[in-house]
Amino acid sequence: MDIFTSFKICSSGLTAQRAKMDVITSNLANVETTRTPEGGPYKRKTVILAAEPVADVFGTALNAAVRAVKIDSIAEDGAVKMMYEPSHPDADDKGYVAKPNVNLIMEMADMITTSRNYEAIVTAFDATKNMALRTLDMGK
Amino acid sequence: MNDMLIRGGDLLPPSLHTPKSTVEVQNEAKPFSSVLKDAIADINKLQVNADETIAKVQLGNTASIHEAVIALEKADISFRAMMQVRNKIMDAYQEIMRIQV
Repeated sequence: MDIFTSFKICSSGLTAQRAKMDVITSNLANVETTRTPEGGPYKRKTVILAAEPVADVFGTALNAAVRAVKIDSIAEDGAVKMMYEPSHPDADDKGYVAKPNVNLIMEMADMITTSRNYEAIVTAFDATKNMALRTLDMGK
Repeated sequence: MNDMLIRGGDLLPPSLHTPKSTVEVQNEAKPFSSVLKDAIADINKLQVNADETIAKVQLGNTASIHEAVIALEKADISFRAMMQVRNKIMDAYQEIMRIQV
């Protein structure tokens, strides 16, 4: 067992939450984007997370239970919002423009969840560190 | 230093020495000085690792801030653990030096 195992898991969690925040920012920035290198409007993206075993944890009993997290993939939302804007250069012949399916309120809610999750992991890290430091103070 | 043998690898936390050295210490009572040297080398490696991560963050490469901070904390905790070991050794040494002859 290693106190650094908790650190490794915290690190993976923080990386995952950072990636989620990156994707949310990207969705917010591209809320009106109608042109992409692949063609068509920007597609709303979401991060899919997967559990990952941590090398050499606690021993056999907890080996199966303790998991870090990793970014499995980035899913794309293929749906588009059709908005009537005949003056837009990307409007079709009926005057409708395909806009990304980004809902500002949903993205803000996701952002709050992500930042709170990040804070929770930081708190877990601090608690682990304090445990280690308290252990070193033992017997003084 | 050979007369100060420490039997059993329980002095240092498991993270501070490699499994190889634990086995050796338990089997053939490795000199204490080399256990300490191994531990210091491991801790130094963590410090160097923390430095490298910070350099990466400053250069805007792959590493992110939290990785640098976590590397620093790892280095900090292992250094503190080493200092505790050192304090115990110094206590023992001073105790021996106080013996009246």
